[in-house]
Amino acid sequence: MTGRVTPLALALVTLTGWILSLAVLTARADLFMAAVPLALALATLALPAPAPDYAVSYAISNDRLWEGETVRVDVEVTARTAVPFMELLEPLATAGALVSGRPRAVMALRPGQTARWSYDITYPVRGVHDLGTLVVRIRDRWGLRAWERRHVDRKRVRVHPRPTPLRSLPRPRRTQTSVGDYVSALYGEGLEPGDIRPFAPGDRVRQVNWRASLRTGTLYVTQQHRERNADVVLMVDTLAQVGTASTTTLDASVRAAGSLATAYLARKDRVGLIVYGGLIDWVRPGSGRPHHERLADALLRADVVFTYVAKDLKLVPPRVLPSHAFVIAVTPLLDRRFTQAVLDLVARGFDLAVLVVSPVELLRAALHASPVDQLACRLWTLERRARLAEIRRHGLPVVEWNPAESLEAAVAGLDRRRHRAMAAR
Amino acid sequence: MSVALVAVLALVPFAMTLRVAPYGPVLELGLAALLLVATGLVMPWRWPTIAAACLLVTNHALALWGTDAPVDIVSAAGFGTALYFLLQFSDLAHGMRRATVSAGVTRALLARLVVFAALTLAAAMTGMAAARPVSKVLPAVLAPLLAAAGALGVVTALALAVTGAGRRPQAAPPS
Repeated sequence: MTGRVTPLALALVTLTGWILSLAVLTARADLFMAAVPLALALATLALPAPAPDYAVSYAISNDRLWEGETVRVDVEVTARTAVPFMELLEPLATAGALVSGRPRAVMALRPGQTARWSYDITYPVRGVHDLGTLVVRIRDRWGLRAWERRHVDRKRVRVHPRPTPLRSLPRPRRTQTSVGDYVSALYGEGLEPGDIRPFAPGDRVRQVNWRASLRTGTLYVTQQHRERNADVVLMVDTLAQVGTASTTTLDASVRAAGSLATAYLARKDRVGLIVYGGLIDWVRPGSGRPHHERLADALLRADVVFTYVAKDLKLVPPRVLPSHAFVIAVTPLLDRRFTQAVLDLVARGFDLAVLVVSPVELLRAALHASPVDQLACRLWTLERRARLAEIRRHGLPVVEWNPAESLEAAVAGLDRRRHRAMAAR
Repeated sequence: MSVALVAVLALVPFAMTLRVAPYGPVLELGLAALLLVATGLVMPWRWPTIAAACLLVTNHALALWGTDAPVDIVSAAGFGTALYFLLQFSDLAHGMRRATVSAGVTRALLARLVVFAALTLAAAMTGMAAARPVSKVLPAVLAPLLAAAGALGVVTALALAVTGAGRRPQAAPPS
C-alpha cells in the first residue's frame, strides 16, 4: 500500500502561509487565530499513522454470458481498523456498458464493519473481458494523508455470440457410425423402412413382411435404414473483415457459426471448427455440452490476423477434418485465398456448402447516404455477384446472407441450393 | 449532499467578512471568491477552490484592517475552521462525484466537523489564555518582529511536517 501526503495538505500549507503573512502585514491578532485550525490539522502529519487494515472480496454473478446479458459485480469491504474515507474504483473497459449502479464507491467504516457495493454491466458484443481490478484510496480523518492500493482478483467474463434458433439445417450427404437423426443409405437397425428382400437365416421374425410373404408364398423381410449422425466442420474465414466495431463481417460470421454449431449439436452430430486466417485454429469434431463450450471458446478467440501467407488446409490433421465430414464455410469472400482453400476442399471430394456473409450492407449502414457511396456499394454488389456466380460454376452451393436479415432463411436457402446442385450432378 | 455542504461552508467566511465590513468592494471580492468555489465544484479542478480560499482570506484581512474592527477570537477561529472544511469537503466532493456513497459517510464527515470545531475553539482559548501573561512581559516594540518570526517558524515547521510525512515509510500493507 502506497502512502502519501494529499494535495489538500499542500494547499493548507500555502493558505496558512498566506494567512500568517497577512496577519503580520495588517498586524491583526485575529488573523493569527484564523490560521490556528489549519495549523492544527497540519500538525497531525507529525504523528505516525499506520495504514488502515481492511479486506476486500470481489465476486461476479456469472462468468459466461450471451451477448446483451448482464453480469452483477458484488464487492464487500470489511474494515479491521477504522477507515475514515475510502474510495473504490473499478476501471471498466469500453466494451461493457453500465446498467445499474456505479463503478465508483465511497464508504466510511468503523472497525469490524462490513460494507457492500454492487453494480451491473452488460456486454453487447462477444469477447473475453477481465474484471476484478479495484483501485482503492483511503484518506485519513483530516484528509491530509492518503494510501493507495490496487487489488487484483481477476475474474474473466466470456461473452458468447447469442445463437439464432435454426429449425431447418443443410443435411450432410454422408453419415458416420454413431446413432443420430439422419436416415442413412445403409441398412440395419432403424425406424425408416427400406427395401424388401428374401428371408435369410438370422433375420428376426418381427422383420418379416407378412403381406409380401403371403402373396408370394416365401418369406420376405423389410429392411430398415440406419439412423446415424454426421460430422459437420464449420470453417470460419478470419483473413479479413469489414464493418464498424461490433458489427463486422467477422462478428456476423462468428454468430452464424455459433448458431450452426448449436443447431447441429442439438441433432447429436459431431461438430468441429476450423478458424482459417492468419493463424489457423481448430477444434476436433465432437458432441455434447462440454464440446459446445469448447467451440464457443474457440469462436471467441477468432480474430483477424493479417498475413501474406496462404495457409494450406493439408496442414489440418485428418482427425479435425474427416474425409466424410460435411464442411460449411462461413466467409465474407473478401480474400481470394479463402476461395482457393474452399475449391481445394471440393477437389478433394468434401461435401461442402458456403454461407457468404454480405459485407455490402454492413458497410452501407456505416457510410453516409451520399450518391457516390451508394454507387460504390452498388458496383461492389455487382462485382460480388460475379464472384458468387464464378464459385457456383464449380458446383458449389453458395448462399449470400445479409446479417441484418434472418439467418434461418439463408440457411434454408443453402439447403435448397445443395439439393439443386446434387440434382444437377 | 457534500456539494451543498461546500456551498454552505463557502458562504460562512463570506458572510463573516460582510458582517465586519458591509461595503461594495468587500461584497464584490467575496462574490468573486464564491464564483471560484462554484467553478471548483463544477469542474474537476482543485485550484479554483484554493484560489477562492486565498481570496476570502485577503478580503477578510482587508476588511478587518480597513475598518479597524475589534479583535474577535471566536469568530477568527470559526473563520479558519470554515476555510479548512471548505478545502477538505471540496476535495471529498470530487471523490464522491459519480460514486455510490454508502450511508454514514456524510454523517461521519459532519461529526468530524463538529469535533474539529470544538477542538479548534479549545486550542484558541488556551492559546489566548497563555498569551495574555506573556504579552505583559514582552516589550511592545518587539511584538511585530516576534509575530513575523513566529509566523515564519510555524510555516517552516508545517512545511517540514508535510515533507516528513511524505517521506516517512508507511505501515505494512494489509493482508
